[in-house]
Amino acid sequence: MGDKGGATLARRFSNAVSRNTLRLRVFSVLFSLVALTIVFALTTPNFLNFQNLKVIAFNSALLTIVACAEALVVITRNLDVSVGSIIGLAGFVAAKFAAANPGSGALIVIVAVSIGLLLGLVNGLAVAYGKVPSIVATLGTLAIFRGVTYIVGSGIEVPSGNLPRWMIHGADATLLGMPLVVLLAVAVALILAFLGRGLPILRRVYAVGSNPGAAVFYGLRANRVVLFAFASCGALVGLAAFLYISRVGTITVNLGRDWEMTALAAVVLGGVSTTGGSGSFIGVLFGALILSTIDNGLVLARAPEFWRMFIQGVAIVGAIALDSGIERRIQAIFKHGKG
Amino acid sequence: MAENPDYRLRVEGVSKSFGPVVAVRGVSFAVRAGAVHALVGENGAGKSTLVKMITGMLRPDEGAILLDGGECRFGTTIDARRRGITAVYQDPKLFPHLDVAENIFMGFQPRGASGLINERRMYAEARRILDELGVDVDPRSLLARRSVAEIQFVEIARAMIADMRLLILDEPTASLTPAEAGRLFEVVGSLKRRGVSILFISHRLEEVRRIADDVTVMRDGEHVITAPASSFSEESMVHYMVGRELKSFFVRQEPPPKGAVVLEIAGLSLPGVFKDVSFSVRAGEIVGLAGLVGAGRTEIAEAIFGIRPPSAGTVAIDGAKTRPASPGQMLRKGVAYIPENRDENGLVVELGISSNICLSVLDRIGKAGLIRRSTESGFARPFSEDFEIKAPSLHSAVASLSGGNRQKVVLAKWLATKPKVLILDEPTHGIDVGTKAQVHKRISELAAGGFPVLMISSDLPEVLAMCDRILVVASGSIVAEFSREEATQEKIMTAASRVSKAGARAGEAGDGR
Amino acid sequence: MNRAIKDHSWELFIGGMVLLAAVWATSLSPYYLNAEQLLFSSRNLVFTGVMGLGLSLVILTGEMDLSLPSILAVCTVLLSKASAAGLPLPVALAGIVLVALALGAINGFLVAALRLPALAVTLGTMGAYRGLAFIIGSEVGYTGFDGRYKWLGEAKIGASSIPVMLIPFALAVLAFMVIMHFSTFGRRCFAIGNNASAASYSGISVVRTKLGAYMIAALMAALGAWVFIGQFGSARGDNANGVILGIITAVVLGGVDINGGRGTILGVLLSTIFLWTLRNGMGLANIAGPIQQLIIGALLVTGVLASNFMGGRIEFAGPRKKAMTGPSAP
Repeated sequence: MGDKGGATLARRFSNAVSRNTLRLRVFSVLFSLVALTIVFALTTPNFLNFQNLKVIAFNSALLTIVACAEALVVITRNLDVSVGSIIGLAGFVAAKFAAANPGSGALIVIVAVSIGLLLGLVNGLAVAYGKVPSIVATLGTLAIFRGVTYIVGSGIEVPSGNLPRWMIHGADATLLGMPLVVLLAVAVALILAFLGRGLPILRRVYAVGSNPGAAVFYGLRANRVVLFAFASCGALVGLAAFLYISRVGTITVNLGRDWEMTALAAVVLGGVSTTGGSGSFIGVLFGALILSTIDNGLVLARAPEFWRMFIQGVAIVGAIALDSGIERRIQAIFKHGKG
Repeated sequence: MAENPDYRLRVEGVSKSFGPVVAVRGVSFAVRAGAVHALVGENGAGKSTLVKMITGMLRPDEGAILLDGGECRFGTTIDARRRGITAVYQDPKLFPHLDVAENIFMGFQPRGASGLINERRMYAEARRILDELGVDVDPRSLLARRSVAEIQFVEIARAMIADMRLLILDEPTASLTPAEAGRLFEVVGSLKRRGVSILFISHRLEEVRRIADDVTVMRDGEHVITAPASSFSEESMVHYMVGRELKSFFVRQEPPPKGAVVLEIAGLSLPGVFKDVSFSVRAGEIVGLAGLVGAGRTEIAEAIFGIRPPSAGTVAIDGAKTRPASPGQMLRKGVAYIPENRDENGLVVELGISSNICLSVLDRIGKAGLIRRSTESGFARPFSEDFEIKAPSLHSAVASLSGGNRQKVVLAKWLATKPKVLILDEPTHGIDVGTKAQVHKRISELAAGGFPVLMISSDLPEVLAMCDRILVVASGSIVAEFSREEATQEKIMTAASRVSKAGARAGEAGDGR
Repeated sequence: MNRAIKDHSWELFIGGMVLLAAVWATSLSPYYLNAEQLLFSSRNLVFTGVMGLGLSLVILTGEMDLSLPSILAVCTVLLSKASAAGLPLPVALAGIVLVALALGAINGFLVAALRLPALAVTLGTMGAYRGLAFIIGSEVGYTGFDGRYKWLGEAKIGASSIPVMLIPFALAVLAFMVIMHFSTFGRRCFAIGNNASAASYSGISVVRTKLGAYMIAALMAALGAWVFIGQFGSARGDNANGVILGIITAVVLGGVDINGGRGTILGVLLSTIFLWTLRNGMGLANIAGPIQQLIIGALLVTGVLASNFMGGRIEFAGPRKKAMTGPSAP
C-alpha cells in the first residue's frame, strides 16, 4: 500500500487521461464551451437570445484581459494571486487622477498601465531575484497593494459621475453592434496569441516554463524572463483596471477583490498548464467565456451566487488534475532515455 | 612545442580531484580535426569528469585544454558553446513543450525586419539543417512526441547552428535501437565531412571499432594509450581498459559458503528495462552483479526492493514468495537496499547521524509512536562505534561527513533493520582507499555471519576480490556467470560489452559516469 | 549552553520581537497591559493559532495548504445547521471532525497520491470549500447558537477572565510539540521535507505521511471552527476569509522553512504571539484593517527574503553557489 498505491495510481491516472496532446487542448476547451452552451440553451430559458449573449461577452471581456495577464505568469511556472489588488490600486489611482484631471485623455490609461507595470515589477523582483516562491510573494503583495490602496484612498470614494464623460460612454460604446470592450478583449487575446509566436521574449517565456534548467543552461537569462512575465502581467492588469473603472459605478478601495480565483480559473480552464511551458491565449479567451457562460447560466437558473465560487474551485482542481495527466505523459516521453 | 595544425583539441596534463578522491590525473591526448575520436574506459575511469572539464562545467585543477591551438578557460558551458564545443548527454536539455525547430533555434531565432521571429525562415532553416544531418524529423512537430534518437538529433542540430568545432557524444547509443544507432553514425559521418571533430564516449567496443578513427583509453583516472582505431582489437582494448595489477588492500579469503538459499529471484521482468532475471543467493555468499552502466543492474535491485516494482516475477526470502510492491513492504520482509546514489537516495544529509541511522526502524525503537533524541542516539551509538564513524557528535549533520563516513552511516542504518538480505549498489563509489578497505572488511564479516549479499559494482578489482560468484548483466539480461576461480577482468568486461541479441533494450539507466 | 543558543537562535530572535512588540504596544496605550484587555483580545489568537500549527506540519513535509480557513468555514456552517436542528454538541462535533478529516483527505489525496502541484490545487480547494460553505450556510449567517455550542469560545475559567479556549490551545501546542519533535510520525515528516526520495528509499510511505499531515491540519481547522463560533457567535460562509495570509506569515516567521524540512513549534508559537501582540498594538493605535494586512504582508515577504538571503539562495551578480538554479516554481 502506501507509496505503491500512490505511484501506480498516478501513473494509471495519467495514462488514462493523456490521449490528448498539447495542440488539442485548445480544441477541447472550445469543445467544452460549445457543449456547455448547448446544455444551457436546452435547459435554461432565455439563454440563447442575443441580448443575453451580449451580456456574457461583456462580462468575459475584462476577465479575458486579466486572465491573459495571469497566463503570462502561469506559463513560467509561477502564480500571481495579487491581480485583484493590482486592479484595486491601479484602478483607484487612475480614477482619482481622472476625476481630478478630466481633460487628460489618454494619460489616464497610461497612469493605470504604469502603476500596474510597477506593481508587477515588484512581484517579479521578489520571485525571480529574491527567490520567494510566487504564491507566498504574491499573497504578501496582495495585502501590501491593498493596504496602499487604502492609504491612497483614505476614505474617499470616487463616484462614477466624476469620471470624464468619454470614459463612461466609452464603456458602453459599440462598434458594429458589439461592445467596444469585447472587441478590445478579443484584440488583446489575438495580439498576444500572435506575439506569442513571433516575439522572441515571449518564446523565452514558454522555454523557461517548459524547462527552467535548460533555460539557464542555454543562457536564456531566466530571471529576466520571469521578471518580464510578472511586469507585463501587471501592465495588462492595469489596462483591465482602466476599463473596469469605466463601468463599475462607484469606485472604492475594495475595487478588484476576489478577482484572483476567477482569473486563475479562466487560465486553467483555458488549457494553460500550471506546471508551465504551454498554453495559448486563444484558449484563455475560451476559458473566460466558459466561466462567464457558467455564471450566466447560474443567474438565469436563479441559482445562488455561491455556486459560482464552488464551481470555480472544482473547475480549477479538475483542470489541474486533467492537465497533470498530459504533463506527466510529456515528461515521460521526453525522458524516455533516462527512466 | 610545434603547433600541429591537424589537432582540433589538445588536452595537456589535466588533473581534477574531489577532496581526497582523484578523478583525473595528468591526462594528455589530442583529437585530430575532422576525426571521430573514441574515449573508452570503465565506469569511474574519469571520462565524465574529463568531458566536464572540456565543456566548461568544471575547471581543471592542473593542466590546459586547447582548442585549435587557443587556450580554453571556460567559466560556464555557454562560454564553451560559443567557442564551438558542445556536448550531447543522455538527459536532454531541451524544451518538451516546444516544437523541434524552436528547440534548435531557441535564443537564436532568425528575425524579420520588424524584430519578430521569421517563422517561415526558422522552419526552412531547421529543415535544411536536419536534411544536412540526414535526419527525417518534421520541424513543426512537438519535441515531446519525438523518440529518444530523434531528440538526440535535435540536440546535435542545435549545436550546429553555431560554428561547431567539437561535438562530444556521451554514450549516445545507450538507448537506441540498432537501426537508430546506424542513423546516428550516418549523422556523425556527415559531420565529419564538414570538418567537425567528434569525441565519442562509449562502452560498446564493436561500435567504437566501427566508426572511430582514433581511440583513447583511460583507466583509473589516467591516460593509458591513444592510437588509431585500426590498431586495436576488441581484446586489446579490453586489456588496456582493465589491465592493471590486482592490488587491493583487502582480499576476501573465505571457504566456499554452504548456507541454504535465502534469496531467490525468479523471472523478474520490467518491459524495456530488464527481462526474465533469475538467480539465487545463499547465506554467507557474496554474489556480484557486474556490467556496464545502463545494463539495468540498479533497476533490477530497485525492483527487488520495491522502489520500482517489476511487472512480473517473484522474490522469495527464506522460501516465502512475494511480488515486490513498495520499499516498506520489502523492508519488512527483510530486504536491505543500499542505493547507488548515497546522498540523494541513501541519506537525508540535513539530518544528524543518529536520525539517519534510526530512519528505517523508527517504529521499532519508538514507544507508542513516540521517540526522543536520546533514544535515537542511544540506539545509534553502538553502530557508530562499531563502524568507527568519525564525527564530533552523533547529532552532527551527515552533510558534514566525508564520503567514506557517509557510507558507514548508510550501512549502519540498514544493518539496524536486522535484514535477511543485503543488496549493495556501488558500495565503495567515491570513497578513499583506506575506508574502502574497511568497508570491504565489514561486508566480508557480514557475509561470514550468514548474510546473503548481492553486490552491484563497476569496480572490477572489487568484484574479483569480494565475490563468490559473478553474474554479468548486459542489456537487461544476465548473460554470463563466473565463479570466483574462473573469473578474470577481461572475461567480465567482454561479456558485459556484448550487446544482447535478444533485443531487450538497455533502457533507463543509472547515471553515466 | 552556547550550542543551545545557536540552535535556537531564530526562536530567541522571535521571542525578542515579541517583547519589542509588547513594549511598543504598551507605549501606545496604557490599557495594553491590562489583563482583561489582553485576555479579551486573545479572541483572534486561538482559532488562527491552531490552524498555524496544522499548516506548519503540512509545510514541514514540503507541501502547502491554502484551504484551511475554508475548511473552518465549512465546519462553522455545519455547526450552525446542527445547532438549528437541536443536535447535542458531541454529535455535532463528531460530525465536523469527520467532515474536516474528509476535506483534508481530499487535499492529501490530490497532492500526495495524484502528485498534483500543492499550491495551485489547494488554491482550487480553497475556493471549492469556501463555495461549499456558502452553499451549506445561508447568506445572512446564523446567530442563534445554543449556549452549549458557544461555551468553548465564550466561557471563562471559574470566576477569572481567563478564556477557557486557551486550554485547548495550550493542549494543541503541546500535542504538536510532541507530534513534531517527539514522535515517529514527526521524524518521518522531517525526513520527507528534506529529501522525499531518500525517505522513500528508507521504507517510509511518503503518501501516507503527507496524507496524515493534511488530515491533522484539517482537524485543527475544525477545532478552530468550534472556538470561532463561541467567540463571534455567528456562522457564515465567509468566516475566516483572508486569514490565510496571517497564518502563513506566522508559520514563516516562526522559522519554518517554506520549502520544508525545518522548523520548531516553539518558533511558530512565539511568532503567533508576536503577530497577535502586533495586531493588538495596531488596533490600539487605531490602524485600519487593510493597513494591518499590509504590514503582515510586508512581514511575510521580508521574512522569506531574509531567510533566502541568509541561506545564500539570492544571487546578486550572477550565480554564486548553485550555478543551475532556475526561477522559482510555485
